[in-house]
Amino acid sequence: MRLFSRRLLLLLLLVWLSACRPSPAPTDGTLSFTDDLGRVVTLPRVPERVVTLAPSLTEIVFAAGAGHKLVGVTTADDYPPAVDTLPRFSALPVNFEAIVALQPDLVLATDQVNNPRDATTFEALGLPVYFFAYASLEDVLEAILTTGMLLGTESVARRTVDSLYTRLTQLAAVVDTLRQRPSVLVLISDATLYAFGRGSYVHDLVARAGGVSLTASLPNPAPVLSDELVLQLQPEVIVVAAGASYNPDQLLQRHPSWDLLPAVRHRRICGMEPSLILRPGPRLLDGLEALLQCLHPALARKLP
Amino acid sequence: MKLRTLSLGFWLFGLLLVSVVAGVALGSVSLAPDVVLHALVGRLADVTADPVAERIVWQLRLPRVLMALLTGGGLAIVGVAMQALVRNPLAEPYILGLSSGASVGASLFYLGFLPPLLSRTLSMPLAAFLGALLALTLVYLVARQNGLLSITRLLLGGVAISALMASITSFITFASPSPDKLRAVLFWLLGSFSGARWSLLPLPALAALLGLLGMLALTRPMDLLLLGEEPAAQLGVPVERAKRLLIFIAALVTGTLVAFSGTIGFVGLIIPHVVRALTGVPHRRVVPLSFLLGAIFLIWADLIARLVLPGVELPVGVVTALCGVPFFLMLLRRSHYRFG
Repeated sequence: MRLFSRRLLLLLLLVWLSACRPSPAPTDGTLSFTDDLGRVVTLPRVPERVVTLAPSLTEIVFAAGAGHKLVGVTTADDYPPAVDTLPRFSALPVNFEAIVALQPDLVLATDQVNNPRDATTFEALGLPVYFFAYASLEDVLEAILTTGMLLGTESVARRTVDSLYTRLTQLAAVVDTLRQRPSVLVLISDATLYAFGRGSYVHDLVARAGGVSLTASLPNPAPVLSDELVLQLQPEVIVVAAGASYNPDQLLQRHPSWDLLPAVRHRRICGMEPSLILRPGPRLLDGLEALLQCLHPALARKLP
Repeated sequence: MKLRTLSLGFWLFGLLLVSVVAGVALGSVSLAPDVVLHALVGRLADVTADPVAERIVWQLRLPRVLMALLTGGGLAIVGVAMQALVRNPLAEPYILGLSSGASVGASLFYLGFLPPLLSRTLSMPLAAFLGALLALTLVYLVARQNGLLSITRLLLGGVAISALMASITSFITFASPSPDKLRAVLFWLLGSFSGARWSLLPLPALAALLGLLGMLALTRPMDLLLLGEEPAAQLGVPVERAKRLLIFIAALVTGTLVAFSGTIGFVGLIIPHVVRALTGVPHRRVVPLSFLLGAIFLIWADLIARLVLPGVELPVGVVTALCGVPFFLMLLRRSHYRFG
């Protein structure tokens, strides 16, 4: 009974807290948005102090031309260099205290990294949260536009997105001329063979760069591959997301039995900066061009 | 009786051969039996076989099966050693915190907190050995009172030390300067043979064989230790030295095996128990038969780990724990469990 009343009290407190926030009334300049999770986010005015809960969102804010509005980023952020001087907080688990202390007008989150249940906590603290969800490359580009709209830098965001779309079209035009598409294995690490299974957007990236991803049909979304499966798949190109300076010989050292693979015999192993393909932000285009450079170096030179 | 043990030994040896063949023939990629046979014979008879099958059979599956064999045998006899040491059949390297201690040492080294003293291949087992030795000594000291070992304290101490060691491992994993190694460490902590290669086999083989030989030399002291330390001393057993040797063997074998294959639990619990049910208590029978049965068990556990999900590997420690924990609970329910 006592427990029940305590819960009721908490509920009342939450209701009261949410009632405290300025109610949406378009006449006095409040803004109202619906985020990708279907939640209504109301802002009393255009936000001037923003925090991001994932590195990809930081890059999106900068791409939308609102980098100067960031007042804090996560400890995992490393791009662009301007983030080096910003205050940091832990995003996994979320350090709510540190975020409240930064006094943001808006918190940006993504269901790819953050727990949607955290939204309730932020609401109780009186901090508006906008959640992004993206399933494709186009969704990521749309997110840049949305961010521009949220932060009042729409024209810059529009220009960035237009130029990214131009690069995407140019790339598509070059790749469409291809007749041969090599089979590609994308690995996250070279010792334990973590890869991408069904439903990952990585397969879409590989296809756009003119390759065929070999692990697209594996039922597990984050499978650990066995050495023998890789031997049977016979990839023609192997992409390891372990940094651009990845030494291809290391792969053969760790997996000596792979000397038979076409990718190893023809030395078609590429190291790739992980943030370029694993981080759904504006640099996915750079990742795509790097993939093209790896899969079809001759074609990559044709890009303007 | 003697004859029965011998024939049991032959049976188990035959079963081990069958298991090795099964371990080589089956895997996450299905190969037809004649392809496997061709690949196996091709290497020996210099006939050209399918090169992919040849790689899978010779460079991936065979060293892997041998690693499982050595690890299973080694962990099973470590179980025997610890059970003789504490005079209780519930003792096991995983339950008493030995494996977690070894993984603290190994992960400290793996994540770059310890300098490579010798070569990389030697330093990691050495660090794991020291971690295992530390954990076992701590548990032993906690459980010992007035020269007697309290089994309650032993198990509770083991649980506590396991938890302590596991949290130290978590701490150093999270504090690690190289986050990209985290995934590899997490996988390795649950135990896996997926990295087994011919070049990695000599050290585990040496540790397992040294452990086996040492245990075979200690069979009589171990038998007498079961009577109690004082009676054993009166019968001429150098009790302290025998116990120290058993601790050393347990730490050496567990440390080396954990450094190569991760923490794999409950082999040392199930196997000696089954062997004693088959052949009785005397260690001159229990030690070699446990080695054989442990090897067979872990080869099959690894096969399950490889086969249960298509194209994907499961940590083998998950499989052994799924078999071992119910077994352990069953043993606990029998309140008057004794040797024999």
